[in-house]
Amino acid sequence: MNAMKSIWENYKTDAAYDELMSSEFQPRQISHRLCQYLNSLNKSDIDKRKIAAELAILEMGISFTVYSDEGNIDRAWPFDIIPRILSAKEWRTIEKGLKQRLTALNCFIADVYGNQDFIKAGLMPAEIINSSKNFRKECVGMKPQHNVWANICGTDLVRDKDGVMYVLEDNLRVPSGVSYMLENRVITKRVFPELLQDIDILPIDDYPSQLQAMLTSIAPEHISKPQIVVLTPGIYNSAYFEHAYLAQQMGAQLVEGGDLVVNEDDCVYMRTIEGLEKVDVIYRRIDDDFLDPEVFRKDSSLGVPGLMRAWKAGNVSLANAPGAGVADDKVVYAYVPEMIRYYLNEEPLLPNVQTYLCDNPEHLEYVLAHLPELVVKPANESGGYGMLVGPHATAKEIAAFRQIIQQNPRNYIAQPTLAISTAPTLCKGKLEPRHIDLRPFILQGKNTFVTAGGLTRVALRKGSLVVNSSQGGGSKDTWIINMEHK
Amino acid sequence: MLSRSAERLYWLARYLERTENIARLVSVHMNLLMDLPNGVEMGWLQLVRINSSEKQFYDKYKVANERNVTRFLLVDESYYGSLFSSLSAARENIRTSRDLLPDEAWEQVNEMYLFTKNNLDFVYNRSKRIELLNEILKGCQRFTGLLSGYMSHNHPYRFIRLGRNIERADMTSRILDLASLLLADSRSDEMRQYETILWVNILKSLNAQLMYRQHVRSSVNGDDVLNFLLLNTTLPRAVGCCIAEIADCINALPNNDSLPELLVKLEAYVQAINIRQTTQAQLRGILDDLQNKLGDLHDSISKNWFLQAVAE
Repeated sequence: MNAMKSIWENYKTDAAYDELMSSEFQPRQISHRLCQYLNSLNKSDIDKRKIAAELAILEMGISFTVYSDEGNIDRAWPFDIIPRILSAKEWRTIEKGLKQRLTALNCFIADVYGNQDFIKAGLMPAEIINSSKNFRKECVGMKPQHNVWANICGTDLVRDKDGVMYVLEDNLRVPSGVSYMLENRVITKRVFPELLQDIDILPIDDYPSQLQAMLTSIAPEHISKPQIVVLTPGIYNSAYFEHAYLAQQMGAQLVEGGDLVVNEDDCVYMRTIEGLEKVDVIYRRIDDDFLDPEVFRKDSSLGVPGLMRAWKAGNVSLANAPGAGVADDKVVYAYVPEMIRYYLNEEPLLPNVQTYLCDNPEHLEYVLAHLPELVVKPANESGGYGMLVGPHATAKEIAAFRQIIQQNPRNYIAQPTLAISTAPTLCKGKLEPRHIDLRPFILQGKNTFVTAGGLTRVALRKGSLVVNSSQGGGSKDTWIINMEHK
Repeated sequence: MLSRSAERLYWLARYLERTENIARLVSVHMNLLMDLPNGVEMGWLQLVRINSSEKQFYDKYKVANERNVTRFLLVDESYYGSLFSSLSAARENIRTSRDLLPDEAWEQVNEMYLFTKNNLDFVYNRSKRIELLNEILKGCQRFTGLLSGYMSHNHPYRFIRLGRNIERADMTSRILDLASLLLADSRSDEMRQYETILWVNILKSLNAQLMYRQHVRSSVNGDDVLNFLLLNTTLPRAVGCCIAEIADCINALPNNDSLPELLVKLEAYVQAINIRQTTQAQLRGILDDLQNKLGDLHDSISKNWFLQAVAE
């Protein structure tokens, strides 16, 4: 393996599982071909590909926004050219597990806004729902198409040092990242055309068609060719690129709140050059809070007054349905394995991470005693904000967090610090292990669909476990490869 | 199609057309000045005048020389009419209209923008400046070409054509305004001596030289050039042709109300212009009037299709 020396000389794996390497110098079977190929390139070849990828990203205008960057509203998307690989065999189990999970979650949401049998059966304290800020009393009694509330879900998976894939969280509100997953493949095709030709990688580019099919399947009854729109908060939103991208790929209209109006007939219309045109399905990328100033936040200028009326009258379908976020709560998360058993009568195929609910006095006591080892997260935040990573925190930070938890235990959960897996990542011309996670996207309407792989996010800073793009994370192309007929 | 999208596409096209026009204007002017003796009334300031921006120019610069004028017109970010400002505005409009256009359209504009942004200093060096201008001219042509080949000729496409042709007609009328200098009684003997070169230059700045020769089949002279550039209905940059294109788009768009009538009147007005033996003052009067009419047309378009979003 001398040839590997040049770009691999800094490669020091640690306790974490490495996705591509079984030891410092030994590729796993799935990454054998990739490593062989990388070794055939010299340093300047690799640099050239990296530069080519960066150029492609600039020209394709793939960007995201960081709120604190004044004036500079779009930033190029940090991309690592070395792909992350999973075998199709492992993927098939994960895929089944993801479908199972979302199906159970949708049963749960429908139950929460219906009979609350799960709670009545004593499987979850009613208090958890009553105190959830994502529980929307306006949704009680509603029944969306197919009784599916969360139509688009992004589930975060991580692999611990035992090699097992765990579910870290389910994003059921407005999960983002799928456009980057798609664009990453486009870039990889440009950068490594030779490689993609001779490895059997599952394609991912049917996502927009699947998304459109799902949205069509949830249209109000008797509408076979619905008018579908993507509702964006506007060009200053961090995911605006994605909203525009998905609308364009589906051939749907990209609209802002001001383009829509709800008339006295409780139908939603958009303002077009031909006058008002009826809208049937809204893929909304606006949080519940801002969706309808008549019902939720009065100061919202992003939403559409009357939208909830139209939805409750059954004249328009919203994806995800308002209120679906009730299951996107890190406390509710702890109950998902139980939901799978209760609603589906199955054993969970994908395990949860051990979770301590600070609400529970026994758990709380344990958490407070073990803060330096734990990761503590607020129940309702996203984007990696407001969390404590015990092993990386100072004594002062830990003391401050102790107080915060005690003030509002319901709002916090804790988990052991996982040694989340690593993958080789290009750092200044050399490969180094960096921690990664995986966000597959699951669509559920009439049918259920899972992307082949998902978005692999990578913590670009050495040793960092935080993969969010707003906090120094980047991404990688994700390959699900078929080894069987080789 | 959303009213808001229609408005963005319309402006996208106007800004890109403006970008292309400035590039061509500067490029043709550089060539012309290589042929002319120093001191003829065709100096760099004329380019600033065409854009009616003398005041903004002199607020910042003392001398209207090549360096200052090209910097002002091409890369000055604080001047809204500069090539770079127009291109940036075009990019912002297309960035927010990507759902309606083929991917390549956005990539093309974005590429041009990045190239310009990364090479703003090209403007200070003649050969680099030519490279920059060529890149822009090619890029704008590629954009037009790929829309024509990749995009349905639907309502969004019509709003793009609409914006492009209004901007184009406006620019042609401004260039003819500059040409009116050639009719001034007070013009210098030197200018009279170079008259043919100057008229040819006017044709070149509108890509009309070859077509003029084929169409007019006589030596280049002022009356014929003016007639051709105002009244011809097949030369893309002639006012008559722009108006015909605009009429074509408007007639195919929904809810066009009284706009088709307005266009019939405008077409008749243009065709009735008689510029044989006009004086400089008469020509300027005609062109001013034409520019006002184009401004009114813009207002009607905006009232008819864009303001919907605010109105109700």
